[in-house]
Amino acid sequence: MASQGLVYDGCNFFRQRLVLSTLSGKRVKIKNIRSRDDEPGLRDFEASFIRLLDKVTNGSRIEINQTGTVLFYQPGLLYGGSIEHECNPQRSIGYYLEALLLLAPFMKTPLQATLKGVTNDPTDPTVDLLKLTSIPLMKKFGIDGEGLDLKVVKRGMAPGGGGEIVFKCPVRRTIKPVQLTDPGKIKRIRGIAYSVRVSPQMGNRIVESARSVLNQFLPDIYIYTDHMKGTHSGKSPGFGLTLVAETLSGTFLSAEMSSTPQGKGDPVLPENIGKNCAKLLLDEIYRGGCVDSSNQSLALLLMTLGQPDVSKVLLGPLSPYTIEFLRHIRDFFQIMFKIEVQKPLEDERKGGDKTLMTCVGVGYSNINKTLK
Amino acid sequence: MDGKVKKQRKHQQKHSGPKAEKKKLRKQGPSTEEDERRRNPKAFSVQSAVRMAKTFHRAQDIKAKKHHIPLVDRTPLEPPPVVIVVMGPPKVGKTTLIRCLIKNFTRQKLADICGPVTIVSGKKRRLTFIECTNDINTMIDLAKVADLVLMLIDASFGFEMETFEFLNICQVHGFPRIMGVLTHLDAFKNNKTLRKTKKNLKHRFWTEVYQGAKLFYLSGMVYGEYQTQEVKNLGRFISVMKFRPLVWQTSHPYVLVDRMEDLTDPEKVRTEPKCDRTVSLYGYLRGTYLKNKSHIHIAGVGDYQVSEVNFLPDPCSLPDTQKKRALNEKERLLYAPMAGVGGVVYDKDAVYVDLPASHVKQQQEEVRPTTELVQSLLDTHATLDAKMAASKVSLFSGSATLNSDELVEHERLQEETVWDQQNGRSRRKVVFNDSQDQASGSSEEEDEEEDKEQDEEQDEDDDHLNRFLRQTREGSGPPHKKQKVEQPPSELPVFADSEDELEKSEEDSEKDSEEDSEEEEDPGEEGDSEEEEDPDEEEDSEEEDKEEGSEEEGSEEEQGALCWKESLQQKASEAFLRQQEAAPNLRKLVYGTVVEAAGVQNENEEDEELGGLFRVSRPQNNKRLQADALDCSRFHPNGTHDWDSQEVLDSIRDCFVTGKWEHSEDAATLLKEDDELYGDFEDLETGEVHKKQNVEDQEQMESNSEAENEEQLLVQTDEEEQRKKRLEKKRRLKERFDSEYDDGEATYLDDLKEEMQKQAELNRAEFETMDDETRVQYEGFRPGMYVRLEISSLPCEFVTNFDPHYAIILGGLSSSEGNVGYLQMRLKKHRWYDRILKTRDPLILSLGWRRFQTIPLYHIEDHNGRHRLLKYTPQHMHCGASIWGPVTPQGTGFLALQSVAGTKANFRIAATGVILDVDKSVTIVKKLKLLGYPYKIFKNTCFVKGMFNTVLEVAKFEGASIRSVSGVRGQIKKALSTPPGAFRATFEDRLLMSDIVFLRSWYPVTVPQLYNAVTNLLLPVGQKDSWAGMRTLGQLKHDLGIRNKPNTDSLYKPVLRAPRLFNKLHIPKELQKALPFKSKPKQQVPKGKTPRDLQRPGVIREPHERKVMALLQALGTIHNYKTKKAKTVKHAKHKEFLQQKNQQEEAKSKRQRELRKKLYKAMGQTEKKTARSSLKGNTED
Repeated sequence: MASQGLVYDGCNFFRQRLVLSTLSGKRVKIKNIRSRDDEPGLRDFEASFIRLLDKVTNGSRIEINQTGTVLFYQPGLLYGGSIEHECNPQRSIGYYLEALLLLAPFMKTPLQATLKGVTNDPTDPTVDLLKLTSIPLMKKFGIDGEGLDLKVVKRGMAPGGGGEIVFKCPVRRTIKPVQLTDPGKIKRIRGIAYSVRVSPQMGNRIVESARSVLNQFLPDIYIYTDHMKGTHSGKSPGFGLTLVAETLSGTFLSAEMSSTPQGKGDPVLPENIGKNCAKLLLDEIYRGGCVDSSNQSLALLLMTLGQPDVSKVLLGPLSPYTIEFLRHIRDFFQIMFKIEVQKPLEDERKGGDKTLMTCVGVGYSNINKTLK
Repeated sequence: MDGKVKKQRKHQQKHSGPKAEKKKLRKQGPSTEEDERRRNPKAFSVQSAVRMAKTFHRAQDIKAKKHHIPLVDRTPLEPPPVVIVVMGPPKVGKTTLIRCLIKNFTRQKLADICGPVTIVSGKKRRLTFIECTNDINTMIDLAKVADLVLMLIDASFGFEMETFEFLNICQVHGFPRIMGVLTHLDAFKNNKTLRKTKKNLKHRFWTEVYQGAKLFYLSGMVYGEYQTQEVKNLGRFISVMKFRPLVWQTSHPYVLVDRMEDLTDPEKVRTEPKCDRTVSLYGYLRGTYLKNKSHIHIAGVGDYQVSEVNFLPDPCSLPDTQKKRALNEKERLLYAPMAGVGGVVYDKDAVYVDLPASHVKQQQEEVRPTTELVQSLLDTHATLDAKMAASKVSLFSGSATLNSDELVEHERLQEETVWDQQNGRSRRKVVFNDSQDQASGSSEEEDEEEDKEQDEEQDEDDDHLNRFLRQTREGSGPPHKKQKVEQPPSELPVFADSEDELEKSEEDSEKDSEEDSEEEEDPGEEGDSEEEEDPDEEEDSEEEDKEEGSEEEGSEEEQGALCWKESLQQKASEAFLRQQEAAPNLRKLVYGTVVEAAGVQNENEEDEELGGLFRVSRPQNNKRLQADALDCSRFHPNGTHDWDSQEVLDSIRDCFVTGKWEHSEDAATLLKEDDELYGDFEDLETGEVHKKQNVEDQEQMESNSEAENEEQLLVQTDEEEQRKKRLEKKRRLKERFDSEYDDGEATYLDDLKEEMQKQAELNRAEFETMDDETRVQYEGFRPGMYVRLEISSLPCEFVTNFDPHYAIILGGLSSSEGNVGYLQMRLKKHRWYDRILKTRDPLILSLGWRRFQTIPLYHIEDHNGRHRLLKYTPQHMHCGASIWGPVTPQGTGFLALQSVAGTKANFRIAATGVILDVDKSVTIVKKLKLLGYPYKIFKNTCFVKGMFNTVLEVAKFEGASIRSVSGVRGQIKKALSTPPGAFRATFEDRLLMSDIVFLRSWYPVTVPQLYNAVTNLLLPVGQKDSWAGMRTLGQLKHDLGIRNKPNTDSLYKPVLRAPRLFNKLHIPKELQKALPFKSKPKQQVPKGKTPRDLQRPGVIREPHERKVMALLQALGTIHNYKTKKAKTVKHAKHKEFLQQKNQQEEAKSKRQRELRKKLYKAMGQTEKKTARSSLKGNTED
C-alpha cells in the first residue's frame, strides 16, 4: 500500500498535526522539535498529549528519537471508550481537551474521558470556555443527544492543578453540513466567575466590575459565582472569569481571563480581571462571526469532514492558529476553503470585517464505528 | 291457423319516466364505492376495532415501505457519459451489438472495438460503451463502474454461467441497471419453441433481476448486423433511461480510462527497459470530486498516488444548447482513442498522432517528405521532458494557435481528415506550456469574471493593463500572425507585483504584528512568477484578443484606448485606501501562492528535500521562529480597541438586541406592515371602526417623529418603491397563507426532502460563477470533467503488456482507505458454490475497488459475545470472517473467489458478505483443552501432573475450574514444587486414578497478514486471465502429490475382544444359613453323565424274542387305537346327551318363567284393584 506521509518542522501546531493525521490516516513525521533549544526535544506536556492520543486509539505507532527532536506517528484507529488521563500540569486540560473535541465524534465507541490536571490557566482556553462554546457548536453539526456532556468535577488552578473533568461525546457516522451565516443579535450574556482557595468575595468583586462594563449594552446579564471548596478546589489558589454572549440564532461568543498563577508574575486585582474580561468580550463581539475565535478550528474541521456538500460559516478575523489549521487541512485532506471578506455596511454598527468561509466537505465517514 | 303471420308488437323502450331514469343510471357504469357505501352502509361500518386498527397499520406499513431516505442530489450539471457495459458469454454478439448501437447513434462504423467508446447520443446524454471480456476479473471491475449493463444471452443456447456470475457480482457491488438482450433468435425454426424459450428465459431473468425487468429480443441478423429497427428501439431505451445512485459509486471518484500515454523518458526506457514508468491516463471523472494528489487504486495493478491531475477540454462534448429537436451530423461525436478514433489527440503539453503500424515501418526505412510531419511529431513525443522544461516547442517555422474549439474539432475527425488539415496546421505554431493548462485558454472569460469576484481592485487594474498590452501588440504585430496569449494566473497578474509590493508594505506597517508569520509573498516567489509570465506575454493571440474585444465592447470602460490610464491612478489610490482599512487578500494569506501554482509549479528546492510529500506554503524568513513557538489556539489580537471611548462602544451597538434592527426584522416596521395588511377592523366591543391609514400619511407622521428617516421616506414616495412594497406585501401574505395551509400536511420526510433540496441548490449555486481553474482548487475535480492523471512509478509491465481490451479503472480512495488493517465481516458461502470454505485457505476477495488475495479466519459469535474460530464455513448460515486487508467503510459488500484463473464449468463465486468492522486487532479464540493426570488422591484433594510444564504456568491458572472426564468438577489450588507443573486441586468428589483431568480454555488466534493484490493487468497479453496467487493447502498437496500421513491412532482396525472371565460367586456360610431355601445354593449337583461303573450294558434280543416284542407292540398299537376311538365316540355321545339335557332344562325354565309371569300379573292386577277400590271408596265417601 502506497501510503505517503507528511513531514513537518518544529513543535508548533503539534496537536493539529497529530489530530489531523489520526483523522486522515496519514502518517506524519515531525522533525527538529526544539532542536536549537537549550532543552531540545519534546516537553512533558507534549509527551502527555501523545500518551492521551495513544489511549484513545488502537494500533498507533509512535516513534521518538533519543533526543526527542524527531517524532514519527503512524495513526491507528480511534477507539474511544472510557479513559482516564493524568494531564501534565504544564498546560491546562483545555490543551488536551481541544484535541479530544476534534477527535471524539469519530471514535468506535462513545468517548468518556476523565481528565485530571489544571482546569484553568491563562494560556489555554479553559474548560469552562470550552463547555460554554464548543459543546453548543458541536450540536449544530449534528453531534448532539444525551451523550454530549462536559462536566467540571473539581477545579484546579495553575500551577498546582488537581482539577478533574469528565467529557462524554457520542459518535457519529457522518457530519451534517452547516450554513452558519447569520450570527444574530446578542440576547444575553452569561458567565462564570470562579475562585478557589481564595476569599469567596473575589467572585462577587469580579461580577460587579464585569457588569459595570457590559450593562451599557444589555440588561440581561447574569454571571454565576462558582466557589469550590475542600477537595474540589485543587492545589493552587486563583480566580477568573469566563463570559459568554449568546445570540438569537444560538451563536456563542466568549472571552475569559484568569488570575496569574501563584508565583508567576504580578498578582492582579479581581476588579481588573472583571473589567478586562468584559472588554475582551466586547472585542470578541466586535470581531463577531458565528463561531468565536477559540473554536474556529473546530468548526472548520467539522465542515471539512462533512458530506460532500457546501458548508458555510461566518467567522471573525482568522486567528494565526486557524490559518495554520487551514493549511494543515489542505495538506491532509486536500481541501481548500473559499475565503471571502464581508465588510460591514456603511450605517451598520456591527463591529469589524467578517470572514465567510465556504468549503465542500470531503465526504468523510466514520470508518471506526462498528456496523451491527 | 290461417297461414297469416301475425306481426308481433315490438318492445317499446322507455325514453322518459322514472324507469328510464333508473336504467340510465345503471347503465352509466359500475357504481362507485361511494354509492355502495350509501346503499349498503352496514357492510362498511366498523365491525371490529382491532381489525380496523390492523388494516390501518398495514396500510401505513405499505406506505412507509415506499419511502427512501432522501439523499442530496449531487449530480453535476453536465454529467459524465453513462457507462454501458456490454457483457455476455463469448460468441454471443457483444461486439456486433456495440457496433450497431454506435452506428445507430453516430452513423459511423467502427471496425475494431477496443477500449471504451464514447459517443454523444442526445442533447443531454453521452454514452460510453465498453465490452466486457469473458474474464472474471474484468467482469468484477466493470460491474463496479457500470451504470447500465446490457446482458447478452444466447437464446439458442440458454443461460450460461457467466450471466449468473455477473448478476451476483452486481448484487454485491450495488445493482446497476440491467437490461437483458436475447440474441441468436433466428436459430429457432419453430415458432412455438421460440415463444416458449423466450418466455422461459424471461421468467428466469425476472427472478434474478426483478419482476418485469426489461428483456430485449434481437431477432436476426441482416448482413452481419442486427435489424436496424430493433437496434433503434434499444438505443431509444438507453437514451431515456434513468439510473439509480449507487452508494459506492457516488461516494468515490473513479475514471474509466479511455486513453493511456507513457511519459517515461525514452532514453531511460532504452537503457533500462524494466524501469518504472510515468504514465498519464485519461478519462471522464465520475462519482464524486477527485482531489489532487489523492490516492487511487488501479484495478488489477495496485494502489498509487496521483502525482498530478489536470482537466482537459472535453473531447466529446455535448452540443451547445440549441432549440432544436435532434442533433446534427457534426454534433454526433465519437471518441475512442483506444480503438483508433481521434487519430490526433491533444494533451496539455503534447500532441499525439496515432499511426498504423505500416506507417512506422515506412518511416524506419526512409524519411520521406510525406511522413515528415509525422516524423516531427514523433520527435516531439521523444523529447517530452525537454519540452516540459522549455515549456514550449515550435514544430514549424510558422506559428499558429490551437484554440480549444479547434482542438475538439480535430478530435472529431478521422485519421484521413488529419492529413487534409495538414496545410492548415503547418502554418500554425503549437505552443506548449508547462505553467498553464490548455484549458485555461478556453475558460478565459470565466476566469476574468472570477477574478473580479476574487479581488476586484487588483484585477480590474490588471485587466486594463492586459488589454492595453494586447491592443498595443495588436497594432504593432503582423495581423496575419496568429499568436496565443497566456492568461496570467488569477492570483498574480502581470503587473501585480507592483501592487503586491504595495500590499506588502502596508502589511508590514500595519498588520505585521498580527500576521507577520503568515505573509506569503516572499520576493523569490514573486520573481519566479514574473519570469514565468514573461515569455507568455510575448505570445499574444489574435483570436483571444478578438474574444476579449467583443467582451469589452459591452463594458463601459472601453471608451478610448487610453481610458484605462486615467482611472489607473485613481484606482490605485482607492486600492491603497481600502487595503489600509481592510485585510489583505485572505486566500493568499492562508494558502499562499500555491493556488495558482499548484497545478503548475514543480518542486522547488524544499519540496524536493521532502520528497514531494508536501508543500510548505509558509514563508521562509521567519519559519524557524514560528516552528517552535507555543502551540496555543488562543487568539491574542494586538490591535485591541479602547473600549472606554464611546465611539468604539458604538461600533458594536447593533450586535445586541437592544441595537438597531434591519428594516425587514425591526419590530416597529413589522407591526406597521401588519397594520397595512389588516388595517381595517372594527372593535366589536366599543363599536369603533378603525380605518386603514394611508401609507403615505403614516409615513409622513413617522417622518415627523423620526428626523433621520426623512430622506428615505422622500425616496419612498417614488412610484417604483411603492410597487416594490406592494409586491413585498403580497409575498408576505402568500408566505403566511402557505405556512398556514401547507405546513399542516408536511411530514418529517417532507421536511427532510426540502432540506436536501435546499442543500442541493446551494451546492450547485456556490461555485457556479467561478472558472474551472479556481473551482477545482476548492471542490476538487468534479465529476463530468475529462481529466488527465499522471502517475509515476508504475511497473513497466503495465505499459509493455497493455491490452486495450482490458478496461483500466482508476478508483479514488478516501483518506483512510489507503491503509491496511483487520477487517471483520459477515460472510456466507454462496448457495450455488459446491464446497464449503476452510479457515486459512487463501481466498480472492473483491472489496471496494480492489481485488486481492487474503487469508480469512472464519468464526462465529457465541452467546456471550466471544468469537469462536470455525474450521469451515457453515453450509447455509452466515458466519464471521476476519481478514487482513485494506480499510474499507462498513457496509461495503464483497465477494470471494477461490481462483480467478481460467474458466471453470462450475459457479465461481464462493462467498459473499459485508464489512462490519475495521480494527487494528482481532479477538478470535479457539478452544483449547489442557489434559492432566492425577498421581496422588486424597479425599477430595488431588495432585495433578502433566497439564503444565512450570510453576509459573500454574500460577497463571490458579483458581481456574477443571473437570474430570467423569464429570467431577474442581479447581486449581496451588502449584507444587515437584514435579514441575504439577498442582494441587480440589474436587467435589473423590477422583479415581484412572480419571483424566482437563481444563477448558480459549486461545487467541492471529489472523495471517497476507494482502496480495491481484495484478492481472501486469500479465502478458493473452495470459491476463491466468493470475494465480497463493495456493490452498489442498491444491498444493494435490499438485506436489503429497499425501497426508494419517495418525495411526485415527485409523480403523478390526475390533478384537478378549472373552470375559467371571469369578465364582462365593456366599459365606452364615449367609447361606440365613437365606431362604429358594435362594440357598443347592447342594445337589445336577445330574451329569452316569459314571462308567453305573452304566448298564445294552440288551441284545434273540430273533424269537424280537418277533414277540414286535407282536406285542403291534397288539399294543391296535389296542391303543381302539381305546382312542371308543373314547372319541363316547365323548361325542356324552356331548349330545349334554345338549339334550340343556334343551330340556331351558324349556323347563321357560315354562316356569311364563308361569311366574302370569302369576305376577294376576298379583299386580289384584293389587291395583284393591288400591283403586280403596281410592274409590274414599272419593265416594
